[in-house]
Amino acid sequence: MLSNAPFSTAKNFWYTSLFWLIVSMLAGLVVAIKQIDPNFLYFQGQDALNFALTYAHIRIIHTNGILLAWLSMAMVGAMFYMIPKLTRTPLWSERLGNLTCLIWNLAIAAAVVVICMGYSSGVEYAELPLVLDLGVVVLCVLMSVNLFMTIAKRQEKQLYVSIWYFVGSLIWLPLVYTVGNIPSSIVGGAAQANMNWFYGHNVLGLWFTTVGIGQIYYLLPKLTGKPLYSHKLSLIGFWTIATIYVWNGPHHLVNGPIPVWLMKAGIIPSVLLIIPVWTVLANVFGTMRGVWHKVAEDVNMKFLVTAAIFYLMACLQGPFQAMMQVSAVVKFTHWVVGHAHMAPFAAFSFVCFVTIYYAIPRLTGRNIYSKALMNWHYYFSVIGFLMFAFTLWIAGVIQGFAWMEGTPFMETINTVRSLIVWRAVGGTMMIVGQFFFVFNLWKTVKVGTKFASDEESVVA
Amino acid sequence: MERNALAIYLAAIALFMMGTFATIILPFFDKEMMTPTANAEARKYDPDSPEAKGRQVYIANGCNTCHTQVVRPVKADLAMNIGPVSVPGDYVNDRPHLFGSNRTGPDLMWVGARTSKEWNLEHLKDPQKIVPGSIMPKYDYLSDEDLNNLVAYLMSLKPAPVK
Repeated sequence: MLSNAPFSTAKNFWYTSLFWLIVSMLAGLVVAIKQIDPNFLYFQGQDALNFALTYAHIRIIHTNGILLAWLSMAMVGAMFYMIPKLTRTPLWSERLGNLTCLIWNLAIAAAVVVICMGYSSGVEYAELPLVLDLGVVVLCVLMSVNLFMTIAKRQEKQLYVSIWYFVGSLIWLPLVYTVGNIPSSIVGGAAQANMNWFYGHNVLGLWFTTVGIGQIYYLLPKLTGKPLYSHKLSLIGFWTIATIYVWNGPHHLVNGPIPVWLMKAGIIPSVLLIIPVWTVLANVFGTMRGVWHKVAEDVNMKFLVTAAIFYLMACLQGPFQAMMQVSAVVKFTHWVVGHAHMAPFAAFSFVCFVTIYYAIPRLTGRNIYSKALMNWHYYFSVIGFLMFAFTLWIAGVIQGFAWMEGTPFMETINTVRSLIVWRAVGGTMMIVGQFFFVFNLWKTVKVGTKFASDEESVVA
Repeated sequence: MERNALAIYLAAIALFMMGTFATIILPFFDKEMMTPTANAEARKYDPDSPEAKGRQVYIANGCNTCHTQVVRPVKADLAMNIGPVSVPGDYVNDRPHLFGSNRTGPDLMWVGARTSKEWNLEHLKDPQKIVPGSIMPKYDYLSDEDLNNLVAYLMSLKPAPVK
């Protein structure tokens, strides 16, 4: 099980992350259906079961599953693949990497059980109890030691910009995680809420975003066959993210019970975030110049360009809704749920799909089984997401304005009821797309045709 | 620097610490943030009280997933008539905080001021019976003790009497 084969860690992280992708997304669907019919998965008289399957538990499994299992594991897999490639150096220890992967999976499985048993810290996105938090810290250390040792022993002295992003992410993640998960017995109240959103926002900004951008910068030259448009621009992006992102937490509490100066300290950097996102977009479009025709032929390019566009949209929508006046309308409504899915799903999950599609043939020596299934995966994901997000955004605006008119709460629920049904339909399409993805990869590994390597072999 | 991973590492930490200091550490020195109000005193429950136990039931069942406990000075919250605007000091004794981030259901900051014990008990057991069309799940799977504690907690959520 604890293999020492080259790149076995990356593969194992990806294969197991696919399992969590399906589980977490199905949990999301259950939550969506429970919002339509609260008696879904309610069994008369089965008290213990009803407690385990109550709405909030499934939602916590959905959010934590997507963030800590699927997306984090897919990204860790990407780093275990790309860092050895970029440094032309074998991973320091595949055995340790595989051990990390094993513990990671066990920790997530344990998390599902304890959440169903009601042991939640009560802090959104940081629900895991303290014991498991400590487990996460151990995992961060195991993973970082392995990757940093690889970088330290590297053959290739030049550090490509992707590595900058990966190194930054590996140092920020444990810091961000620690601030967000300090036990409630030590801090509480509004100060804790502020720390809660520091975590909620920065785990996105200094982990998913930065590992995601690192992957984009790795994949762009590979897929287009052209060098990155501007190395300098990518570094400007790195340092602006490093400077600005960490300030963003308080914008989640705009108009809420925190001092006004703190709100402003969160809102202003939100607007400045346009700089790093612009550098990424400029680099993507610059590199794409002259090779746009490839988007028509290559599903990976479709996914990557779409991901970049959704990343831009998320970073335009975010500052917009951080404004006090806009927040006063859309906050606490369905709108925010739509926004919250854009970056993790339509931007960075898409990037991870490309990474996996790109790397698996190069690791297994087998071509992706079906291009048609890849296309289905793409269209179901994109159309499903647009349907999902737009219904929530429309519902959110309707709710927001209805609340401002003092409409009775039940009436506002009835008004958006049909939109919430369409949200579940869009969500179902998103999940169906992932079944195509997983099936396609499974077939690739089993019966894919021989893949002719297009890159120099890496010293193993 | 393009060859020096350690330099990137240290600069990344330094920039991170600046933002953390400003947005996380400084608020602890803000009086508005840290001074308990009368409402905060009223929410400082004795650990063995039904209210404290009810709060644990609230957390274990994730009520904060769908209900906020925040009243903002904005048109929506004033129009919905959900009680006085809440201030940072009201939450000083909330461990953990239960702000919530989504109003799938109504705000509960001052729910005890507008509902009764009996209503809450019946509503928790069968929300659809009391509020037709409600999308709240049934909590009839809870023990009577848990339900009573939860109701005690909900009823305690009201503005402290003016002295």
